Amino acid sequence: MQRVTSIPVAADPPLLRATGITKRFGTVVANDSVDLTIDHGEVHAVLGENGAGKSTLMKVVFGLYPADGGTIEVAGTSVAMTSPAVAREHGIGMVFQDLRLVPALTVVENVALSLPMKGLRLDRKTLTKNIVAASERFGLSVDPGATVRDLSIGERQRVEILKVLLTGARLVILDEPTSVLAPQEVDHLFEGLRALRDQGLSVVVITHKLAETRSIADRITVLRAGRLVMGGADPKLHTDDVVIEAMVGRQVRPLAVARPAPPVGRPPALSMRNVSLHDSRRGTLLSSVSLDVQPGELVGVAGVAGNGQLPLYEVALGLRAPTSGSCSIAGTEIANMTPRRALAAGAVGIPEDPVRDAVVPGLSVHQHAALDDLSSVRKGFGIDWNLVASRYAERNTAADLRAADGDRRLEHLSGGNIQRVMLVRAFGATAASLLVAAYPSRGLDIAATRRTQELLLERRAAGCGVLFISEDLDELFEISDRIVVLHAGEVAGIVDPSTTDRYEVGRLMLGADDLVGAST
Amino acid sequence: MTATSVAVPLTAGGSARVDGLRGPARLLAAFLTALGLFAVLMLLKGVNPFSAYRDMFVSTFTDHNQVAGILIRATPIILAGLAVAVPARAGLINVGGEGQLIVGGVAAMGVALLIDGRLPGPIVLILMALGGALGGGAWAGLAAFLRLQAGIAESVTTLLLNYVALDVMYFLIFDRWKDHKGSGQPASRPLRASEHLPLWANTRVHLGLAVAVLVALIVFAVFRTTSWGFRLQVVGGNAEAARRAGLNVTGLVASAMVVGGMCAGLGGFAQLAGAEFKLRSGFLAGYGYVGYLASWLSRHRPIGVVLACLLLSSIAISGDSLQLDSKLPAASVNVLMALVLLGVLGFGKRRAAAV
Repeated sequence: MQRVTSIPVAADPPLLRATGITKRFGTVVANDSVDLTIDHGEVHAVLGENGAGKSTLMKVVFGLYPADGGTIEVAGTSVAMTSPAVAREHGIGMVFQDLRLVPALTVVENVALSLPMKGLRLDRKTLTKNIVAASERFGLSVDPGATVRDLSIGERQRVEILKVLLTGARLVILDEPTSVLAPQEVDHLFEGLRALRDQGLSVVVITHKLAETRSIADRITVLRAGRLVMGGADPKLHTDDVVIEAMVGRQVRPLAVARPAPPVGRPPALSMRNVSLHDSRRGTLLSSVSLDVQPGELVGVAGVAGNGQLPLYEVALGLRAPTSGSCSIAGTEIANMTPRRALAAGAVGIPEDPVRDAVVPGLSVHQHAALDDLSSVRKGFGIDWNLVASRYAERNTAADLRAADGDRRLEHLSGGNIQRVMLVRAFGATAASLLVAAYPSRGLDIAATRRTQELLLERRAAGCGVLFISEDLDELFEISDRIVVLHAGEVAGIVDPSTTDRYEVGRLMLGADDLVGAST
Repeated sequence: MTATSVAVPLTAGGSARVDGLRGPARLLAAFLTALGLFAVLMLLKGVNPFSAYRDMFVSTFTDHNQVAGILIRATPIILAGLAVAVPARAGLINVGGEGQLIVGGVAAMGVALLIDGRLPGPIVLILMALGGALGGGAWAGLAAFLRLQAGIAESVTTLLLNYVALDVMYFLIFDRWKDHKGSGQPASRPLRASEHLPLWANTRVHLGLAVAVLVALIVFAVFRTTSWGFRLQVVGGNAEAARRAGLNVTGLVASAMVVGGMCAGLGGFAQLAGAEFKLRSGFLAGYGYVGYLASWLSRHRPIGVVLACLLLSSIAISGDSLQLDSKLPAASVNVLMALVLLGVLGFGKRRAAAV
């Protein structure tokens, strides 16, 4: 098939034209009269920060959310997108951030689930042939007979895309497709997307990563706070600064370059020796992990999600006792460490899932803040709430993250605002000798993410050891002194980001075996 | 009692939250709804609900003796309700108020028997109160121990320990402590007159009521102002958050349970030294479960527990009128209590059910 030109001809209406889309959630306006035009045969990036309304917009287009205003035309015909079924009928498919495959089934079976059933029999042979044909045609290599459980994240994503294509989609929407992929996998995905475009199909990529946008998108649409800032612009005509300013609304200041050398002669903030963790249900979570975090050092932890990052977090903070091996915090060797002892030894954590692990329903922000140093705010049998309040206010000002006031109920805040409170609490513990941060900028906008990176560096400069777990390689390369790469619960490598190539880290993240699959 | 077995699955795990109608208004609305539903039942049985309610009200609240009966009845129930409310703050479900009441009474009796009149009355009473509280606390502590050591849910152990407590009492009054001078009914020997709690003016109401209300006020103040009360709330709201914040969750769970049991144990002492004066079969039967109900009705708020207990005791006492004036079976009052509970649950916020 010839590549269809991306310049629309007057007689040829665009594949999709959404006009004046408005979507409200209660009093929040997620989309305020947004326009979006997708041409035939283009890769279109919808850019914006967290909460800018980009996912909402695409979910309206996909029929998941009914719009409060606006019209949608597909190939020139007005369509009422009342459900995803209607969207599929009109050739629109969506791949979600959380991949929705059944792990116990094979690729063929998963694809079959998404297709309309004809009769009771599953015609595996024909379906397998179709999958192979489609995967060859679009360069999306998958083994149709493989069980999904055994596939890497990148392979699962390819299955999802194939699933959407086999239902006859002409427009494939991908929600943050690169957020969990290693660089090699991102390249591989983008090759596939280009192949789709060359076959005349259209792709929408929802993302907040500018660099990736540049390498794949023909046109970009930028949203900020629910409003359209740039509509269908050619990315080559705009500098990074212009696009970032469109996303954020102001300039983002660069990080400080000077990084003071760590102090010498002090015991490591965190020292793990041959730490293994086995779980009767989930098998081996950590396998012989040895690593040190020196005072005044920021050690990043990279890895594809689920390769041991959270078990590492839990062991470092005494939340789980390792099956074997030893762990010490600031020179305090503690057998059978408990969170209480880890805190006493000077460890502080930023939890991966605050709602599950840190938010107490019914309590205010102040009451949560009191938990950080309960022993020092005692007043007789009670608690000196004035002291708690003034301390929180102080820390909130120092962190400069615009976290909520102390009398709000924490559980009533949005995810991003809960995260800010978590950060104020963790960064406020200035006496800590070890800070373990799990995805600290999750749910934050670009400015707050940048501020969080600064705060991590500030803690490092103050002589605190920082263990920083992130899914974002850019971020890890920008602020880490060393990067520990985890794969299948093992330390696949410890690298210096200033002398290491990102693809090398990607190779370690995937493990040697998976790499073979990724490069085919 | 059927009402309690309904209560557990409906509300277990729900955290106490005030939403919609505020406290007293919600309670009143629930109560009126229950009265309405009960009126329908009475109509079906051919009883005029208006005259029945009037009779209930008049015969209950215009008779000093009946009012005294309500207050006397409410005394151990308030303490049993607090025995539910304190552990509930730490997220625990104590269904063992019944057994803790009984063990409290047994321990208090044991103290009295041990001293055997060798000390002056007031001192004996204080030691009996202490013994009752320690007995109830230990009984609840047993459940806490089983939960923390063996991981057995306290909602199960506390309930089962009720039957053990009853058997312990039976063993004593049928055997060791049996009063051979007494009539056919097995019972312990009665307390000496000097070991009775003082009465209120010319009524039968005893000092135990003041103790119960005082304990409720203390619990209220402790919840409100102390670090312990705050830490219990953290454990009850999110135990994982409490653990990660370095709180001693084990100690807090155990202490909440023991303090709750102590309240009930004090209730057993109050009933023994203020109203019954001896252990007999049927001692405090069902009181613990009504206290459980009262605590859930008030969403485990101590002052609310007092009010709910007064309400439930009034209903129980007025049940006599149902039988005498309206010729309904005495047990129909249990139906009314159950309707009140369901009414309160129905008026509660649904969010609790989603937990």
